[in-house]
This record gives sequence, structure tokens and C-alpha cells, in this order.
Amino acid sequence: MARHVIVGGGTAGWNAITTLRELDKGESEIVLVADETPYSRMVLPYYLARDIAESHVYIASPPKLAALNVDARLGARAERIDASAGKLILEGGDEIEYDNLLIATGSSAVKAPVPGADGKNVHSFWTFPQARAVASGVGEGEGARVAMIGAGFIAFTILNALVNQGVKLTVVELESRILPRMIDDTGAGIVQDWLNDRGVEVRTSTQLASIEDKGDAKLLKFKEGPDLEVDLVIMATGIKPNIDWVADSGLETNQGILVDEHCRTNVANIYAAGDIAEGPDAVTGEKVVHAIEPTAMQHGRVAAANMAGQEVAYKGSLLMNIVDVLDMEIASFGAWDDPDAEVFEAVRAERPAYRKLLFHGGRLTGAIILGKTREIWTTNDVGMLKGLVYTGVDISEWKEHLRENPFDVKRAFLASGAAGGLLPETVLGRPSISAHEIAISS
Amino acid sequence: MKILKIIPEKCTGCMRCELACSYEQTGTFQPSKAVIRVSAFEGHTSYAPYTCPQCDEAWCLTACPVEAIGISPAGAKDVADDICVGCKLCTIACPYGTMFYDIDTHKAFKCDLCGGNPACASVCPTDAIVFEEADKTDWVGPFAAERAKSPAGPLAGVL
Repeated sequence: MARHVIVGGGTAGWNAITTLRELDKGESEIVLVADETPYSRMVLPYYLARDIAESHVYIASPPKLAALNVDARLGARAERIDASAGKLILEGGDEIEYDNLLIATGSSAVKAPVPGADGKNVHSFWTFPQARAVASGVGEGEGARVAMIGAGFIAFTILNALVNQGVKLTVVELESRILPRMIDDTGAGIVQDWLNDRGVEVRTSTQLASIEDKGDAKLLKFKEGPDLEVDLVIMATGIKPNIDWVADSGLETNQGILVDEHCRTNVANIYAAGDIAEGPDAVTGEKVVHAIEPTAMQHGRVAAANMAGQEVAYKGSLLMNIVDVLDMEIASFGAWDDPDAEVFEAVRAERPAYRKLLFHGGRLTGAIILGKTREIWTTNDVGMLKGLVYTGVDISEWKEHLRENPFDVKRAFLASGAAGGLLPETVLGRPSISAHEIAISS
Repeated sequence: MKILKIIPEKCTGCMRCELACSYEQTGTFQPSKAVIRVSAFEGHTSYAPYTCPQCDEAWCLTACPVEAIGISPAGAKDVADDICVGCKLCTIACPYGTMFYDIDTHKAFKCDLCGGNPACASVCPTDAIVFEEADKTDWVGPFAAERAKSPAGPLAGVL
């Protein structure tokens, strides 16, 4: 019986487990090496908001893992790979032989390298323990002064939870606009005005210099601009793949571990998935790290199908993000900042709303959509933009119309036959089933 | 398995499906919360109702990080409100544009085939929407493509 060893119990690892069991009904050994009980990072902002209980965060409890006949080594950490012997070596010296090894060790938060970054009440928000620390630091919320260092996607996923609990929030961004890797200047300007109108202070082009203690409070000093006194500092200053431990394994790496369209690495029987994998981009075909949940899910599923002996090629991951900022919806897809694209855009300031469409020939290769949450979902446009970018369907016939009215996405989608083109399209080549229906045969 | 089959050539744009859908789904007459929505192709005086095709891939289901989306006895991909946290990953995973977010309940919502008796099909006065045994296919596509390829172009008669 083949033994699949999976390192990392995040989205990629968990999806690999369920896909393996979906395919083999239990006819393989699965060993999971994870230093924590698997949980869903995506729901941590709702935990911080106190919308959900701590138990809701766990996706795979030990009983659930046992029901899928997974040999779960929780609390264990992988130390290195001996590829020539087909062994994973754990910290402490235990060895696990594998037929297939999936590396899904994710990424870690990186703090701004300033004096005081490791002091008390300075937290990243990436792991469950970090989320607990922030939740505890915010306390009852009302009146707590919080500085968010970094105005990227991660920062914005928890902005609602903080503001809605009465936190006095200041967002500090090194670059000249907020959400610099998710939306362009026009979009960022609209969001910044929206935040200012709702009592959130935003400082862009501002570099943190140091964090000092001032009694129980924290005093932030910057390369430019006035000091800031707060009760809690959240460092949302980026993430990096947890790649150091594979350094001597013979795996080809760049930013992440390089994988092909099967999520295979250059070393036989070793796969990588999720934040740690650098695989094909659906739009450009180039290899990239997309540290986003949908990519981790798809990587995990594709890797598992191939580990189970199927030959499943992956079209590539699509860069996409969506975040709700105090009831304004912001989403972007694909190559939204491509300087070589033909760009159609329109702002409706009175709403406010913004659309940006990026074309190469008759193909939509990137898009930004922004508007009030109450208004965005009266349209079908969020998913349709994803569908158009992902399929690359030819919408030449509608291009001139969209140049004049970038908001009329739906009819272009319908008339292009994008929906019909999607119907036969599947990642694993067969219908998906509900997670609750996956079971081992006994 | 019965599916919602749309024959846009028969649609008169009366919007009764949107009203019935929103009433069945939310208890209010709010077409903005309907999960079947009609597009007007004005230049052709024709209309295309459109809703979730209940695709095999189930992009929404596989994307959900808390396994809140399952498959109902009626064959619909269905959101369990008590599990959904409202993270909207399904809304960007679904490439059809048929996954929505309800700002009032903070949950994702979609077509659930009304549990096996879809209101849109029940009320459609011209049989443009029927619920019957059929293979999944793109009912809207040929109709809409015909409109796109009109010699006068998609804007004919609109402006």
C-alpha cells in the first residue's frame, strides 16, 4: 500500500488528504506531519470579530482525521528530507519513509525589521496563536488604539473586525497607496477616502523607524511624520514561504519550491502545494507564488490526484483577492497591473464605484471591481470577471462596447459563451463531491 | 437529475422569475436578491434569464474553507448558513457569477433550486424556464452569441 506523507496541515495539506481519500477510499497510508491541529486561516478574521467560536476555526479535528484513517503526527515538525533514501526526518530524529511526499508547509509572517518589533503588544496576524494574541490585545475593543503596519490584503481582512469593535485604528503603509498589490492608484484613492470618512487614519509613504515602550503604551516613530502612540501594534508587513528546512534536499527553489503543472518538484516523488509552491500562473504561464487560499486548495487537490496515480495537469492558478472594507467590496483578478495591457476603466464617483478591465487582443487578462457591498451583489460581475479572465474566452465582439462602458460585463459574459466553455472545465476531471461525503471504505 | 433549463428565445422579459425567486429565497420582493437574473439585449428586444448551472466542478463547494457548501437532495450546491462565515471566497471562485453575498445576513447565497421546486420555473408564463430531466449544457450560449454576432453589432438600437 502506497504511503503518502504530507507535511503541513493548512489548506493545501487538508485538501490533499480529502482528495486522496475521495479517490482511494482508504486504500493508501496517509501520514500527516503538522505542528498544529489543522485550522482554517481564512476564518481567523471572523474569530477576531467574535462572530465565531474557536472551535469553528478548526477544519480537521483529530477525530475527523482518524475517521479518514490519517496517521496524524500533530505537534511534530519536519527537519529535513533524505530524497535518495525516500525518507522524511522529523525534529527529534524520527524518520518516516514515503512513496510520495507533499510539502505544504505554507508561509510565515515577516515583521518590519525595526527596533522594538519583537516587543510586547506587537503582533503579526497570520497564525491562530497570533490571532488569539491580537484578540486578547484588543480586549473589549472600545477605545483601544491600534496601529496597523502595512496596508496589504492581510491587514484589510481584519480591518472590519477591529473598527467594528470600536478600535481607534491608524493604518501605516510604506508604499504610496494602500493595497499596493491588490488594486491600482485610482481604486486605492477611493478606498482611502472611504476609510477617512469612517474615522480610520491612513498614512501612506510612511516608513516605520522604531517602536518604543511608553508606560503600558507603544510609541511609534517614523522616518517621516509625527509619532504615534497606541496600545497595540499589528505587523501586517508581508509573508514568506517556509522553505528554509528543505535547503539541502536537492529541490529547485526560487521564491518558493518550483513545481510543474502536476505540482511535481524536480525530485522524484516529491510534490509541493500552496504558499510554498511556485507553479504556473493561469494567465501568463509563468511560475509564481500565489499565496492565496484558492491556489492552496487547487494545488492540494492536483498534487493529491497525481500522487494517487492519476495524470492530472493543472491549468495554473489565478491571482485573485476579495476583501470587504466597511461595506465596500474590493476585488481584483489576474494581471490587473499589467503595463502592456489595453486598459478600459470608469469611475462612478457618486456611488462610489470603479471598474478596470485589462485586455490583450480580444482576451480579458485582468480586472478590478470596487463598489459598495450592497450594490456589488446586485450584479453577477465579480464571478463573471473571474470567469472571463480564467477562461480567456474571446470577447472581441464586445470589446468596443466595454471600452465605452466597462460596467456592462454581464452581457459580454453571456454573449461570449463563457458559461458554456466553463461547463466541461474541471480541475480534477470529474464532478466534485461534498466534503462530508468523503469516507474510507470499511 | 432535473435541472433548470432556460430557453431564452421564449423569454419576454417580464421579470416574474426574479420576483418569485427573491420572494421564495428571502421573503421579500427584491429582484436585487434574486439568484436568477434576466439580461436585456435591447437592440434585439430579447432577454436572457441566467442562474447557477449547478456545475459539476462545484467551484464554490471546493473553495469553501469551512466546508459550508454541500450538495442537496435536489442536486443543488447549497450553503449551510450556520457554517458559512461570509468570507466570500466562493464568490471569486465561482467563474459563472452566480454566487452572491447578503449584506444583511453576512452569508453567501446562491440558487438552491428552491429545494426541488424552483419558483422561477413555476411562475414563468412562457415556459422560458423549465425544471426537467436534461443534460447540463449551456442553454443561454447559442442565443446570446447570436446577439453578439449581429451584423449591426451588440449596440444596435441601444444608444
